[in-house]
Amino acid sequence: MSTRKFISRLAIGGICTAVALSASACGAGGPATPTGAAGTNTVNVLVEAGGRAELTGVAEQCKKDAGVDVNFVELPYDGMFNRLSSEFSSGNVSFDVAALDSVWLPSFKDALQPIDEIFTDEAKKDIFPALAKEANVDGHFIGLPAWTNAEIILYRMDLFEDSKNKADFQAKYGYELAAPTTWKQYQDISEFFTKDGMYGTDVKGGVETEWLAHVLQAGSPMVLDENNKVVIDNAAHKEALDFYVGLAKYAPSGAAQVDWAAAQNLFNQGKTAMTRFWAHAYRQIPKDSPVAGKVGAAPMIAGSAGIGAVPGPWYLTVPKATKNTEAAKKFVKCAYDHNSMGIESSLGLASRISAFEKYQDKEGYESFKPLIETLNGEATATRPATEKWQQIVDTVLVPMLQKAVAGGDSAILLADAKKQIEDLLK
Amino acid sequence: MRVDEKTKHDAGTPASASAEPAARTTAARPRKRRSVNREGLEAGRRSTRTLLWILLAAAMVLYGFPFLYLLFTSFKTPIDTIAVPPTILPREWTLENYVNALGRSGVPASFINSIQTAIISTVLSLVLAVPAAYGITRYKTLGGRIFIMAALVTRMVPPVAIGIPLASMMGSVGLADTPIALSIAHTTISLPLSIWLMSSFFEAVPQDLEEAATVDGCSRLGALWRVVIPVVSGGIAVTAIFAFLASWNEFLFALLMTAIRSQTTPVVIANFQTQFGLDWGSMTALAAVYSIPVILLTLLLQRKIVAGMTLGAVKG
Repeated sequence: MSTRKFISRLAIGGICTAVALSASACGAGGPATPTGAAGTNTVNVLVEAGGRAELTGVAEQCKKDAGVDVNFVELPYDGMFNRLSSEFSSGNVSFDVAALDSVWLPSFKDALQPIDEIFTDEAKKDIFPALAKEANVDGHFIGLPAWTNAEIILYRMDLFEDSKNKADFQAKYGYELAAPTTWKQYQDISEFFTKDGMYGTDVKGGVETEWLAHVLQAGSPMVLDENNKVVIDNAAHKEALDFYVGLAKYAPSGAAQVDWAAAQNLFNQGKTAMTRFWAHAYRQIPKDSPVAGKVGAAPMIAGSAGIGAVPGPWYLTVPKATKNTEAAKKFVKCAYDHNSMGIESSLGLASRISAFEKYQDKEGYESFKPLIETLNGEATATRPATEKWQQIVDTVLVPMLQKAVAGGDSAILLADAKKQIEDLLK
Repeated sequence: MRVDEKTKHDAGTPASASAEPAARTTAARPRKRRSVNREGLEAGRRSTRTLLWILLAAAMVLYGFPFLYLLFTSFKTPIDTIAVPPTILPREWTLENYVNALGRSGVPASFINSIQTAIISTVLSLVLAVPAAYGITRYKTLGGRIFIMAALVTRMVPPVAIGIPLASMMGSVGLADTPIALSIAHTTISLPLSIWLMSSFFEAVPQDLEEAATVDGCSRLGALWRVVIPVVSGGIAVTAIFAFLASWNEFLFALLMTAIRSQTTPVVIANFQTQFGLDWGSMTALAAVYSIPVILLTLLLQRKIVAGMTLGAVKG
């Protein structure tokens, strides 16, 4: 047979197979149990790609304990909001349980079922107060925290313990070099390590959470007060912004473009001596990184109002449109019961206080004590419960921060931001 | 200058004696000029060619570098992939990223889904575009002209604007999360381009060919099938490649319309970037593997593609 004939036959064979498969409407992932198949014990769980690892062990356990089979629908974070909007608005959902970023809860509250029965008094005691508050929308609990995170301080233990550094620091600043517990110390240490191609810290102009943590530490609600009045131009916001921008002289250039990934890379490459970063990063330092095994963790630093951070929890929710409610709730309850299993995953997070406490003294989990302390911080608070929050962040807060780190006048920028947010909320 | 000098030397010599050299001079002058011109032209051509080669090389580097960088990154260790400043070549070569990427659950299934979706979409595009383009070019009606312009206009609508309604429609007819639904969605992208491409190829085929076939007893459809389509087979190959690529690399519709059964590889590749980090090495490894089928397809159909590219250029 000539090559040409062979290729033609191969192509025709391929086309026929594809057409036959499509005629049976069967993808290679196999026929999933469609949502809406009431009474089945299989649930489709929608997760952001990183969340699958977190829930895989839990899903295996739930199959054994509760007889619930789980199919994961994995989507990239950037497209997940669009997908959720599309499915919730159409009323046809391809999942029975969705793991939602806390930012999205207010947007989708009307499409989610209350799960008050899982939030027993005992359960509430084991959930960080800020998370329990955020999960409660209009008097009903609509999401059970699956895992949570907060920014803590990660620092280069090897540099901090170096005797020469210790002596030089003591001589220059008059106190001992140690993990910072005040922002003045953070500033001094950042200045001290900014030399010889290295930087004391990073400044992230591409994300807003860190600046908002400073606002909380200064004793103000973030952006909106409890009556949804825009307070972004108050003294606490300005003070926080000025301090945040002031650190840029101890950080690598191009702060306006630095986001989480860039800051994490800089730290893992040994370019920065300290970073304020999500706690999970402590366990995700590559083994071949020059800083592997040399990193210490400390709680987020307190301001005048105490330790304050913006938690980053994900919630398991049950959409109203699923007809498989019973199995979906069974899975959510089971996931709560086996919450600590998430800690053994590559992401290494949980949401229950008891789960973190179980691991906090184990080797390799040194970030958990600072994380617990930060999540319990008196100024720690979740983001404002407005469905416009994501829009406010993307169109107002991040552009404003980028202008600020590039040298813009903070008072003018905050006044502009106030006007823009008020327009968005109208 | 030399000619002037020669003229000066010849001054005062007898006319007969000076006539021959003068004649020789006038005969040599154009020859020299021609040779000077030829050399000048040759040098000019050489420098133009060198410049073109430099530009070509620069363009190749510009287009090829991202892919080469992706390829090299796929062989880097985790810390190398995120090096600051970035390195081009891996400091240490490893296949770990390929093992991670291909070992991830759902990857083989996503490849099958991508192939299936792209083939169905390509077939659909050709089955619809060939007769549509043929009708438009041969009948030249006002409706045809409006139709082809309208097809072009659909290309101007941002896919995100129709993605969500399309996903809802597919869900309501029971096609949610199926390759056929995604193929139909992809056809909406490739069909207008396919119609335009095929129209230009059909325009290049002389109508006399079909008339001759009709005289020999072919029906119009028979002439299309037996005479015109073999002539434009190169064009069909080009159109098929474009339709295949449009589906193969499409991300947005796949993101909105697939879940468990029909998720394609571009969505799986994007899943390596999560809220909690970017697995850059595995992402580039899977992207490199995903590029192989289309590179092979292009190489296999290379001759047809070149023939198809030039087909539209010989009309008239």
